[in-house]
Amino acid sequence: MSTIPLRSPRAYLLALPAAAWMLTAVVAPTLLILWVSFWGGRAFSTASPLTTQNYERFLSNATYLQLVLDSLKQAALLMLLCGVLGYCIAYFLSMKLRNPRWRTALLLAFIIPFWTSALIRAIAWVPFLGVNGVINQALLWLGLADQPVEVFLYSRTGISMAQLSLYTLMASGPVMYMLAQIPPALREAAMTLKAPPLVVFWRVVFPLTLPGVVIGQVLVFLNVMADFATVATIGGNKIALLANLVLNFYEGSQIRAAAVVAVLLMLCMLAGVAAALRVVDIRRLGA
Amino acid sequence: MAQLDLEIRSLRKRYGGFTAVDDVSLQVGQGQFVCLLGPSGCGKTTTLRCIAGLEEPDDGEILIGGRQVTHDPPWQRDIAMMFQDFALFPHMSIARQVGFGLEMLKRPKAEIRKRVAEVLAAFEIGGLAERRPASLSGGQRQRVALARAMITEPRILLLDEPIGALDYSLRETVMLELKQVQRRSGISFIWVTHDQNEAFSLGDLVVVMNHARIEQQGTPQEILQRPRTPFVAGFVQGNNVFRGRYTAAGAGHARVGAYLLPAGGPPPAEGAEASFSIRAELLRFNPPADWPNRLAARCLTVEYFGSIRRYILQGPDGALLKLDQFGAEPATIGVGEETVLGWRAADAVLHA
Repeated sequence: MSTIPLRSPRAYLLALPAAAWMLTAVVAPTLLILWVSFWGGRAFSTASPLTTQNYERFLSNATYLQLVLDSLKQAALLMLLCGVLGYCIAYFLSMKLRNPRWRTALLLAFIIPFWTSALIRAIAWVPFLGVNGVINQALLWLGLADQPVEVFLYSRTGISMAQLSLYTLMASGPVMYMLAQIPPALREAAMTLKAPPLVVFWRVVFPLTLPGVVIGQVLVFLNVMADFATVATIGGNKIALLANLVLNFYEGSQIRAAAVVAVLLMLCMLAGVAAALRVVDIRRLGA
Repeated sequence: MAQLDLEIRSLRKRYGGFTAVDDVSLQVGQGQFVCLLGPSGCGKTTTLRCIAGLEEPDDGEILIGGRQVTHDPPWQRDIAMMFQDFALFPHMSIARQVGFGLEMLKRPKAEIRKRVAEVLAAFEIGGLAERRPASLSGGQRQRVALARAMITEPRILLLDEPIGALDYSLRETVMLELKQVQRRSGISFIWVTHDQNEAFSLGDLVVVMNHARIEQQGTPQEILQRPRTPFVAGFVQGNNVFRGRYTAAGAGHARVGAYLLPAGGPPPAEGAEASFSIRAELLRFNPPADWPNRLAARCLTVEYFGSIRRYILQGPDGALLKLDQFGAEPATIGVGEETVLGWRAADAVLHA
């Protein structure tokens, strides 16, 4: 319980440092990007006239639009895969693993990779997925394949495999948290009311973890949409999604186009979060 | 003999090296109100959970309505259970949650709607049908939990400290209601509690447990008046427990230490350590000359409860004694006074 009343001068004072940081580090740069995306003329300066031409150019290009669609499709696929796998892992760790030592050990094994940067983890997948990579070697040795499977690296499949490993924890964590909040007596009460295990899960456990599922979905969506590193390293130069396009434009010194894509990317993400908020009010969690 | 609602034969449950339930046997006739009473950790809740099927016993058998269910899962047993914190489903409306059991039994929707309305009305919570548990008071939650458990009319209702979470002022009313509900429904109640007032005012049969075992089972009067073990005598209120060497005294009598009492069941070995108890209301100040048991004591304090007045006294060996008198009578002695008290040989109960 807070002893400082809400909306009092002291409360605002407390929020000041964080607000200042958010303004300079998040809000101001975002507004800058938004501004740049409307710059017209030939010179790249703050004196540029404002225009919607940058957007018109982007939206009239079918290849770019296809890219938006591809990014959303990739995000949807990963939301599904990470959601299902993440839920299973969360359920296993919280409900089935009784030994607390094993639980901690597995959880750590799960979390430690996240101490390295996303770029490093993406690159780390290359020696696994390559034609002479670990996975192919294993498949050949086990006799499950006659020749190396080429589809792993420099392909959408490879990207999805890598992203699945990178983002499953994000779908898993919030579910794990929600599962831990469910008193065991609730499941037991359902069982004594004649509900077999699957029904207990579907009618009691799953609805109570739904907020965690939605938050996980939002996290996976945001990360996949923003992920350029995995796509660039595993996809090679063959595949690009919206986030890569920002980078490409930027490296090609087409700052205004990069800003346009960045703004559109943000709009997609905002739409995703807004949709999630309609299902579950994330802000009310833990209250 | 009529079919038993519940029969437990030599139930055992261990957790690693810890024995939670040891050789517990129990028979519950039709529509009985049974209270499992004991201190925390005595195995009463584990016994209840074994009956529910929430714990798998290591040994022994459980029969519900004559049917062997020892290894059946909870959802295949003819029981319902009320949990300590009620375990209401936070995401379901009251109507939905009360109808949950019938839904699981695949009853038609119309029938469920009708029965839920009936049961909510019967428990006087009809106005809450569309509410969520979070917005209910403790007493309302307790009614919802009871309605949810009873709607399927199970053979046995298991209750794990069902009023422990309620305000003290509510408990007496709720106890009376539950007792009436139980009588009307004919469902056997197995009620776990550590509160002897609950156990003795509700139970047709009270089962006192300690250290994973049943110490004694019987009617409230049997347990209160004739405690079979020193634990039961000490655990239930109002007993004075004495220990000493056992010696036979002839003519169906014996002595424990200096005190004369009826010999009781199978006699302990001559000279063995034994114990007996005498109820506080059977002690008397300045006993008649022909009462064989008497001792000098000093009054330490007097507690007044309205219906009784309890004197706490100290005997010559330093042990504390309690003596109860009717509260309506004037006090006999005051704090600090010396007195002699005694009891009839026939009123003392030798422990096994």
